[in-house]
Amino acid sequence: MPERDHGLTRRRVLGIGGALGLVATTGLSTAAALARRPSSTGAELRSAVPLPPPFQVPLPIPAVLPPVSTDGGVDRYVITQREAEAEILPGLRTPLWTYEGVFPGPTIESRRGRPVVVTHRNELPVPTVVHLHGGRTPAASDGYPTDLVLPARHATSHTGHGMHDPRAVVTEVTRDYAFPLDQRPTLLWYHDHRMDFTAPAIWRGLAGLHVVRDDAEDALGLPSGPRELPLVIADRAFAADGGLAYPSLDPTLSERPGVQDRYFAGVLGDVILVNGAPWPVHEVDAARYRLRLLNASNARHYELEAVTDDGRRLDLVQVGADQGLLAEPVAHRALPTAPAERYDVVIDFAGTRVGDRVRLVNRLGSGRARDVMAFRVARRAVDDSRVPRVLSTDLPTWRQADAVRVRDFSFRAGRTHGGHGWLVGGLPFDPARTDVTTGLGDVEVWRLVADVHHPVHLHLVGFRVLSRGGRPPLPHDAGLKDTLSLRPGEAAEIITRFDGYRGRYLFHCHNAEHEDLGMMANIEVV
Amino acid sequence: MAARLGSVAAHRTEWVFRALVSAHVVAIVGQPVFAGAYLTGDYDSLRWHAVGADVVTSVGYLQLIAAIVVRFRLRRSGPLVATAAVVVAETVQYFAGLDGALWLHVPLGVMTVAALVVQFVVVWRQSLVREAVDA
Repeated sequence: MPERDHGLTRRRVLGIGGALGLVATTGLSTAAALARRPSSTGAELRSAVPLPPPFQVPLPIPAVLPPVSTDGGVDRYVITQREAEAEILPGLRTPLWTYEGVFPGPTIESRRGRPVVVTHRNELPVPTVVHLHGGRTPAASDGYPTDLVLPARHATSHTGHGMHDPRAVVTEVTRDYAFPLDQRPTLLWYHDHRMDFTAPAIWRGLAGLHVVRDDAEDALGLPSGPRELPLVIADRAFAADGGLAYPSLDPTLSERPGVQDRYFAGVLGDVILVNGAPWPVHEVDAARYRLRLLNASNARHYELEAVTDDGRRLDLVQVGADQGLLAEPVAHRALPTAPAERYDVVIDFAGTRVGDRVRLVNRLGSGRARDVMAFRVARRAVDDSRVPRVLSTDLPTWRQADAVRVRDFSFRAGRTHGGHGWLVGGLPFDPARTDVTTGLGDVEVWRLVADVHHPVHLHLVGFRVLSRGGRPPLPHDAGLKDTLSLRPGEAAEIITRFDGYRGRYLFHCHNAEHEDLGMMANIEVV
Repeated sequence: MAARLGSVAAHRTEWVFRALVSAHVVAIVGQPVFAGAYLTGDYDSLRWHAVGADVVTSVGYLQLIAAIVVRFRLRRSGPLVATAAVVVAETVQYFAGLDGALWLHVPLGVMTVAALVVQFVVVWRQSLVREAVDA
């Protein structure tokens, strides 16, 4: 009988099929509803104060720090790390930890190959460590997390971290950091890198810019002077008293590291600051501008897009990456940037009308975090800048065949000593363990795999991206980088040469919360 | 009647279909294996996962052709409906994987494996050839 087939009635077959179909549909719809689309890693901390409307405050430009001496071919600077207050949100006083009393810290301008020595004096209540991100720096000045500068106020206090490191070089109150700066011109940034407490220290304000220039770059004719804008983009959240909110387990940042469990994957703020101002606006000429972008956020990713109020998108023409100029410009409609990445882009306002507004928006952001800043076109102007078709010819040309070894590393969540944390190659950070030993001058290929978003940063060296997910690199992977943004489930191959200096260096995830929760490992260059 | 093929041809059709469903199950079970190894940091497993995706999808399309033959030679449309659903899921799955849309890729992958396992049980449990039943 046709309706009785193998002991199943047609009605029953349809019933079972329908039930399974319903389960599948419900499962996939639930996945679609629960999933973060676009995906993001971290939890947002909400401000407890009313937030100002966007595009009201003028964009501040961090002041350039004058050297205290330029004798003997060395530029010497002194920076005092101290507590200060600033009016970030209108009418509110926000206590900060600062370099020289300002946030972001003062900018250091330097020339390629001309050494810089920065004397840091610690007047904060906790030990500190300064790392120059992207600097080709001897290990003694690279800011290893246990090379603490003990504070003036508590010079005898303990070091504030649980791990013993026999190789740590601890100084009291001050330390001279010497930077040869024998490297390609680019935008670097300096920030705190203390063991276990990097994320909250950066959040409180310990970050500043350091520019390296040379004659070849100056001769390119890129927009300069007032038409070169450093943009330090960082998200923060504010507590009811006007202070910065941060979910530390230990608000004194001295004993117990870590964040409340909800923020385990990273802390996102709901206020977007550019150069320390909330959603600022900047008046521009109808001309080309060079934007030196730094994502100084702990965990927030951005996909930046420049949009006019009538919905037109302006190209962001990338001329440089983390480690300096590209070989040739790359035009982007939208530019993804992960924590600690830098992008050097040229935007041309020539096609806009006087009075137009161009917003820089984050396509990955929602609510208030979607806006970043705005430009107001104020006047027509002569523009003698240009974007040459060849920007540089000195990029390294390492090929896969040059590599003396290939290493695989996973970046994922897992068990650590006391609970859960973030691991590199299955292990949480231990200053006493050497994870990678390599010879000075060795070329290596590293294959990196991520579970969620992990911006992977190598100290000392720049690298090139060979592939992403087994396919060719993305347009914004061009040039020489020191931080690579891996997306959930993504893998990439990078190639680098460990040259410059011998000694102990780090590689780690630059989601600052991941870094504090173990996602860091040692490289010994021998 | 067209459906009353020689029993040898009917059985051959059925065995081809069964073999393809079986190969399909074997191939698809490899996918979570490679994905798991990949996420521990074994980079080569990504390539195996990609090769596996090509193999699974190709076997899926062969199974679809076989199911069409089953539909017309054996007058059974159940295998075609089930196979078409699996092939659609696998095609979506393939592109969700390439795009990194893991919210879709992971659950849909689990469901596709489950669907193929059910289909495997069904095709081996009872013959598709009607004559034994109808006679």
